[in-house]
Amino acid sequence: MRNEIFDAVPKNTSWFDAVFVKGKSTPLTFKNNRIYSVNESENSGFGVRVNIEGKTGFSFTNDPSGIAGTVKRATASVPYGEIEKFKIPSDTVKTFDPYDEGITSFNPASEIERAGKFIREIESAFPSISVDMSVSSSTGSFRLINSKGVDLEYHESFYSVSASCSYVMKGGVKIDTWESLSDLKPTDYKHLSSLLINRIERSLTIEKLNSGKYPVILPPAATARFIGIIASGLNGQGVWKGVSPLADKIGEKIFNEAFSIIDDPFIPGSPYTAPFDGEGINPVRRHLIKKGVVEGYIVDLKYANKLGIEPTGNAARSYSSLPSPSFNGITMDPGDSSFHDMIKGIDKGIVAEQFIGLGQSNTLNGDFSANLDLAFLVENGEIKGRLKDCMISGNVYDLMKSDIKTSREMERKGSYLLPYIYLDGVSFTS
Amino acid sequence: MADNFFQALENGRKIISSISCEYADIRLSVSESTGISLSKESVESVTSGESVGGSVRILKNGSWGFATFNNLSSLEKYFDSALKAAMMVNAVEKSVVSKSEGIKASFVTPAIRDFDSVSLDEKFELINSYNRMLMSSDKIQTTHAAYRDVNTSYAYLNSEGADLFFDKSYCGISLMSVAKSGNIVQPFHESISGFGGFELVLDKINLAEKVVKTSVDLLSAEPLPGGKYSVILDPKLSGVFIHEAFGHLSEADFVHENPRMKEIMELGRDFGPEILNVYDEGDRPELSGYIPFDDEGVLPASTALITKGVLSGRLHSRETACKMDEELTGNARAIGVMRQPIVRMTNTYIDNGTSTKDEIFDAVDEGIYAVDVIGGQTNLEMFTFTAGYGHIIKNGKSGKMFKDVILSGNVFNTLKNIKMIGNDKEMFGGLGGCGKGGQSPLPVSFGGPHMLVEDVLIGGK
Repeated sequence: MRNEIFDAVPKNTSWFDAVFVKGKSTPLTFKNNRIYSVNESENSGFGVRVNIEGKTGFSFTNDPSGIAGTVKRATASVPYGEIEKFKIPSDTVKTFDPYDEGITSFNPASEIERAGKFIREIESAFPSISVDMSVSSSTGSFRLINSKGVDLEYHESFYSVSASCSYVMKGGVKIDTWESLSDLKPTDYKHLSSLLINRIERSLTIEKLNSGKYPVILPPAATARFIGIIASGLNGQGVWKGVSPLADKIGEKIFNEAFSIIDDPFIPGSPYTAPFDGEGINPVRRHLIKKGVVEGYIVDLKYANKLGIEPTGNAARSYSSLPSPSFNGITMDPGDSSFHDMIKGIDKGIVAEQFIGLGQSNTLNGDFSANLDLAFLVENGEIKGRLKDCMISGNVYDLMKSDIKTSREMERKGSYLLPYIYLDGVSFTS
Repeated sequence: MADNFFQALENGRKIISSISCEYADIRLSVSESTGISLSKESVESVTSGESVGGSVRILKNGSWGFATFNNLSSLEKYFDSALKAAMMVNAVEKSVVSKSEGIKASFVTPAIRDFDSVSLDEKFELINSYNRMLMSSDKIQTTHAAYRDVNTSYAYLNSEGADLFFDKSYCGISLMSVAKSGNIVQPFHESISGFGGFELVLDKINLAEKVVKTSVDLLSAEPLPGGKYSVILDPKLSGVFIHEAFGHLSEADFVHENPRMKEIMELGRDFGPEILNVYDEGDRPELSGYIPFDDEGVLPASTALITKGVLSGRLHSRETACKMDEELTGNARAIGVMRQPIVRMTNTYIDNGTSTKDEIFDAVDEGIYAVDVIGGQTNLEMFTFTAGYGHIIKNGKSGKMFKDVILSGNVFNTLKNIKMIGNDKEMFGGLGGCGKGGQSPLPVSFGGPHMLVEDVLIGGK
């Protein structure tokens, strides 16, 4: 492949880089409490960037015989590119494969049986419930080739389970809730059923709370949704364009001391890790916000160059797209309190688990306004029943400045490893 | 690439006629796409690419096996793997499908200017001219102007003898200006798309002008205080409302195996006032949700979902129609050949009522005129959707502009709270689309006339 690319690029090429990805997966789909379909999926793709005298062109294909033609198309789009001054790396190293041999033990028949048991356990608590599940195993490889001599490939394995429950109460009130888990190899997920059952049980009682300002506790999965809004403000692309509230704020204390954001490429157990990014930069674990102070951004080569900073190893890249800055993994520094302590300290407040429409406000500014899809009343230090037909709104930047607490417990959800967060004085409308 | 495709198609015809199962289909596609993305003074990307793909789906002994691939030269292998996958399961409750006539037909998108014949220079210059308009105020911090076209040859075969081909051309633009003043950053966005040629995206400078003006106007707008309001929805919001709040409920896969949802969604049940009529129509070639046939080889229909306020129909795949013993509607759709079809909307709208826009405004002493849309989401009971902006209404007159107009509520109560329906229906589609079951974006369109809804919850400080 390397030679094929070299043969196809024009003589005056300044540099090129190409990615070749391959993958195979076996997703099992369960609908309405039963196995619905067994899938076998195969795909591969090739994308190439060609730079001639500073300008870059790009093209992609997933036709295995189409490499030379793709290089030609990329070359043809070069004149439309703008002058880019960054340099591609020559010293990329591969230190590990995000692959676990255990993935080979994935057995569809026994996974179907295991999922069946899982569903029956939930069904035994709520006979009319509808459970959809997906259990999937995949393996693949990512190969990066560039004109500076890099030609490296890593192998990946990925196992994931997601279970989504929909329960309609008499009278039509609907409870939807879900849990998921991911790993490098097949893993036990029995404990998810009791989480789901308990959450649904608690939702059967509907509580009332008057409009006003209340403390809100976000469990880790909900924390991820809120942190995502600030994390997007740390993206070098938005910083360079001047639309991020965190542009030009390096060294400034913007948030509460308890607030931090870390780009972590090596979250333990996470299958979302890679030895090098889409352009061949080796990533490191970095604080972007530490004790409320902005310390850095995430960039790819292009935005590192535009912002005049070092590349950070955050170039996300599929075969069919140009690289762009993206988090490797998001985590925070844990706090001192426990979730239990947070609840104990509340007279009247809310535990907010799931939202409808959270990302539809002007998130560039940090604004949010969301219906509480699933949330619970906290009263006199105890979690009570469900709050319904209500919204919370505010600004994430303002809230993280105010009196927040983070828990010492941390949970991993996908590429996030996050604590519970206690927010003070959130606007609630019912 | 095309040679491979037609060889695979010929091969697929042979295999599918010999397979022993309840039902099987093959979908194959090859496509070529061009994308141009500009941001203020920079060129983010100019991309061309090609994709090939295929899938085989087999229903055997009541279980589905599904294989997807991008190597069209060994179809037999994927047939085997789909068949083995289906036979791996010993289904207790079996999947079944409604049968239809095996249709043989070929469709092509009517295009005035085929974008194959348009140079990259001309495409670039067009989107660049819109981008210049998006930058045309000194309050603009950044812009995003994107052009995309896709030419796809799509073939569908099934074990009933269906042999369908669609040569489709789809293109669109997406335009955004981000205005900034002090710490306030204010984006506004519009997008259009559809099936056709380059003519679809020509002469849209007015759209870019509206985008830049609205983003600048919104800089000085205040957020709307939270509370309950009487709201007039503009045609675009009426469309998003009916798509989000009701359309997803009418997708039968949410209902067909869920006894309590079946009770809620019983045909004949009162859903709204007598003036409310809602349709889904896949057979409208001029709209972004057009399909000449669905991804199970079924011809699309005009389905009356609500007639005079009463639930009168729902959207089906072969499986849900069979399970519920209802007619096929042609609503099984996938975002590409490598995904399984699921029940989806096409072009969904609230039909015209009898009121004029003026009559609707005259009926409101105090309320909000909610205009344009940023997004919408539902869990089939509650919904949230965000208007682009709003104006306060006092004594029938539209006044001061507000931003952050985020409407939320219970689907069923809100439908019942529709008080007046206008006679000025419009349809909308864009380069984005609808998301469900991890499949996004699926091209759809939605629309309706101006509409008055009472007691709508708006979130705010």
